[in-house]
Amino acid sequence: MVSEEVLEDLDDHGPRRVHPLTVVIWFLKKAPQNVLGLPAIIGITSGRGLGWIALAAVGIAVVSLVWTWINWRRFTYEVTDSELVIERGLLNRTRRSIPLERIQDVGIEQGPLSRIFGLAEVRVETGGGDKDEAVLDSVTLSEAARLRGALRGAPVKRASVGLDQPVEDSLTEVFAMTPGRVLLLGLFSFSLVWIAALATGIQFLGDAIGYGWDEIADLAETAQGEVQSRLNYSTGFGLFGLVVLLGVVTGVARTVLREWNFKLRAGIGRFRRTRGLLTRSEVVVAMRRIQLALIQRGPFRGLLGWNELSVQTLGGSNDPSGRQVLAPLARDYEVAGIVEKAGLPPFERLPLRPVAPAHILRALVLAIPLPLLVIAAALLLTPFAWLGLILTLPPVLTALLQRKFHRYALRSASLQVMRGVLAQRDWIVPVENVQVVTLRQGLIQRWLGLVTIDIDTAGASLTSTPAVVDVVLEDGATLARDLVAGIS
Amino acid sequence: MLLPDTPLHPLEHGQLKAMRLSAAVFWTIATLVSIGPGFGLSTAFDWFPFWLPPAVIGPLGLWSVLYATPKRWARWGWAWTGKELHVASGWLARRHTIVPAARVQHIDVTQGPVERMFGVATLVLHTAGTANSEVDLPGITRETAEEIRDAIRDQLTVDPW
Repeated sequence: MVSEEVLEDLDDHGPRRVHPLTVVIWFLKKAPQNVLGLPAIIGITSGRGLGWIALAAVGIAVVSLVWTWINWRRFTYEVTDSELVIERGLLNRTRRSIPLERIQDVGIEQGPLSRIFGLAEVRVETGGGDKDEAVLDSVTLSEAARLRGALRGAPVKRASVGLDQPVEDSLTEVFAMTPGRVLLLGLFSFSLVWIAALATGIQFLGDAIGYGWDEIADLAETAQGEVQSRLNYSTGFGLFGLVVLLGVVTGVARTVLREWNFKLRAGIGRFRRTRGLLTRSEVVVAMRRIQLALIQRGPFRGLLGWNELSVQTLGGSNDPSGRQVLAPLARDYEVAGIVEKAGLPPFERLPLRPVAPAHILRALVLAIPLPLLVIAAALLLTPFAWLGLILTLPPVLTALLQRKFHRYALRSASLQVMRGVLAQRDWIVPVENVQVVTLRQGLIQRWLGLVTIDIDTAGASLTSTPAVVDVVLEDGATLARDLVAGIS
Repeated sequence: MLLPDTPLHPLEHGQLKAMRLSAAVFWTIATLVSIGPGFGLSTAFDWFPFWLPPAVIGPLGLWSVLYATPKRWARWGWAWTGKELHVASGWLARRHTIVPAARVQHIDVTQGPVERMFGVATLVLHTAGTANSEVDLPGITRETAEEIRDAIRDQLTVDPW
């Protein structure tokens, strides 16, 4: 029985090492640059033959293997009753002890190599902000499960009480992505930025092997010159079509790699999310560590009624800015279901109130001058620059619509804020999770009698915060006072 | 005043002196340093007078020390209500920060050499937030800073997040 095994394993104290096959994984990970790259570079630059390079590669491989093995020998971990102790280092021994009650999440990740060997990386998160606080790379899957049980605490207590119920059984599926939905999300994730990354990648590779983008571009240019004399517009459209197609393909590929078989399950006081095609990652989000919920809609998926739900946990998680996606592409009712499961109040749009009317004015003041300056500068070059005025239309329209989409309310112990015209965001911030409230007033805001209320929460990103921008001074003061009164 | 019904204490006069001294030192160094590029540019371009950069930066410094610094000092204000600390500042763009005592992670009282010279100290509150993870209240006496620190310390909660 599973629980007996768990009990037995938990009694077995004493330092352990990570799985021996880890040596192979570490070695293989470093091999491309160390074993192959270094001798090749030295050999080629100093003009030596292939034999020398092969010999050097073998030598380095042996040294590297021994070094990796020593490092593996010297890396031990131990779960005691109160803490996780990790010791490492050859000459400088480092001993890190993490109190069990400080551990927030235990994530399990399987890269392609680990999956081949049936191993997994265990990532312990304490919210200290340091990404590599405690990573056990790599242990067997059963050991990973044992560690998670022991580190999260709850199953240990359950086992000692004598409930022989397997832990997995208490998890119920809350949300899952069907393959069709993953593909749809991939289509939405169309991005030209990704193509730029691809181009730089080719450039980089080209630099390394001496034949690349420039040559391809040269070739393309000559070819294009040949063709252009005859098929001017159709080549242009063809190239454009190719770029769009590339954007779609990369978007889909990236999304499929990351979100394939996305499953969100909920247990007592925690969510467990598994996802990924090649690298399977498993993350536990403790509900009491959830600081706020954020519902996002891109321009197209918003129109079609799709949302992305993420929660902000207290820093130190696998994702940057301490944000965990609980549902990448979900309908309103699905989002509401997860939000309720998380113990957060529902997001309700109707009772929200708009910010001050002068918000539109300030948005316009901020949106217009720069494009006008650019057009004025362009007018010096060509009289047709006034056509650029058409380009100022989108920012002006967005500015005009901004107030319609920026609403807020302090209700049922949570602050609810919606903001954004094209990319819309809804925040649910439980008042007790607010850390610091700041009233801010710039020069334009002083003339218009407005104020911005910044709300700082634990693990927040610097750019995307549930700020209430441009409310009338008195309303802002009331909001700030009520918020602070709700905290203490 | 962004929160009219929270009366704020002004900073100590010592803080004004400290701010002026820091500004004076900064602008003096900036003026002296700008002579170098001035000479460089005057050798590169005949029409460029070597005294131009210091002649611009010097008066700017005077304006800062004599006018802007007192303005900025006067816009600072603070209040300790027993449950939260208010810190207001900013001359042109204003800000008013409210830190609930229950959300403070740890507290520092610091005193640099210039501050010690003028008998003022800075109270630093650390929270679990991101943008405002550190809220500074400069320019209060060491005794006041320690009083507030002790008052907040009594209210620290075990689990601030």
